[in-house]
Amino acid sequence: MSAGPSQSCGSEHCITCGDDGVPMTVVCVDLDRGLALCTDEDGTRSTVETALVAPVEPGDILLVHAGTALTRILYPAGVPA
Amino acid sequence: MKFVDEFRDAELGRALAGEILSLVEPGRHYKLMEVCGGHTHSIYKYGIDDLLPANVELVHGPGCPVCVIPMGRVDDGIAIAHREGVIFTCFGDMMRVPGSAGSLLDAKAAGADIRMVYSPLDALRIAKQNPDREVVFFAIGFETTAPSTALTLKRARAEKLTNFSVMCSHVTIVPPLRALLESPDLRLDGFIGPGHVSTVVGARPFEFIPADYGRPVVIAGFEPLDILQAVEMILRQLAEDRCEVENQYKRVVPYEGNLRALEVMAEVFELRPHFEWRGLGFISHSGLKLSAEYADLDAEARFSVPGVRVADPKACQCGEVLKGVIKPWECKVFGTACTPERPIGTCMVSSEGACAAYYNFGRFARERQVV
Repeated sequence: MSAGPSQSCGSEHCITCGDDGVPMTVVCVDLDRGLALCTDEDGTRSTVETALVAPVEPGDILLVHAGTALTRILYPAGVPA
Repeated sequence: MKFVDEFRDAELGRALAGEILSLVEPGRHYKLMEVCGGHTHSIYKYGIDDLLPANVELVHGPGCPVCVIPMGRVDDGIAIAHREGVIFTCFGDMMRVPGSAGSLLDAKAAGADIRMVYSPLDALRIAKQNPDREVVFFAIGFETTAPSTALTLKRARAEKLTNFSVMCSHVTIVPPLRALLESPDLRLDGFIGPGHVSTVVGARPFEFIPADYGRPVVIAGFEPLDILQAVEMILRQLAEDRCEVENQYKRVVPYEGNLRALEVMAEVFELRPHFEWRGLGFISHSGLKLSAEYADLDAEARFSVPGVRVADPKACQCGEVLKGVIKPWECKVFGTACTPERPIGTCMVSSEGACAAYYNFGRFARERQVV
């Protein structure tokens, strides 16, 4: 799994230690292994565990923490997706 | 960016600041605790406290995952990391948390094979790639991170990996909150609830706060408008003499949480009778260990560890900072002997720690006021 700029545990800010969640968009799904390839706002792609939110499909937006999708992000009413 | 720009709108921020001002009673001092270190980070980063009336004080809570890890646990991790044939893995900030004789980063410099990972799944991958080595993952964090560790352990079991184990230091958020509410030296008017922990546990576990202690709770997101709106919602509850749990972060947090995550955690973990928190002491039923079904993947059982309780350095006042009793800059060593580059206390390690967040952002505003 790759860890891009917005997901790094670098010196300034470890997002995993910081309890941060990263919004990521599903690109494609590996149903057999319960994983999905997702992309963040910077275009960095990561493999994400989807067992807690399955089933997912391309285009879904997930909140990802420590490589695991915790929930789907729902657009507020009236805000276009 | 979607879900970011909308929540940083300056015009809406000004409107919310005006609403907040209209809700406060002159002469009354309001103390609101943000439980999560992520909120502390955002508050200092965006100068949110500067937008609040002088009589609304934000108090920083214990919800920074690395800040609450006691020195003895770091020593235990280092002891395992020094074992021959071990690859020790942990998250980034955990590498810099001081133990009694240095940090994991120091141990790495001394020759231990310690590797930083972003996810427990990365540690599992390292175990698969190194079948002749023992790979240990140092699991820290609240209920936000625990499901990821639990799923990784389930994968390890399913794939019959025998060279992978977990040193479990996961903690739960409710027991320390109850301990804080029982603390006689802390008077709080309300809580900004932890947004990402709540994606897993939901809002229901916080209902004891209004029910038993008469304090409102608003679960909030991490953008500036999220936090301002949470403050506004708490103050509105107080003004209207209401006291309940409200969810400002509905776009992410379901009121019931993530039931699948809770089921997985219940299968893989069980509560420890006691767990030591940095600066807060031992709190009953506040830490997780592996359940009997997964005990063979427990690194503490697989390797002998010192398990010695180590007292915090005398100069360090992380405990008072974590309880919100003192502000970061009121600690005797803040910004002098203790800095993010050379932390003495854990609150200075992670950027979510109150001291590091204040050091990196807030102190400049304070210096301006002094001048």
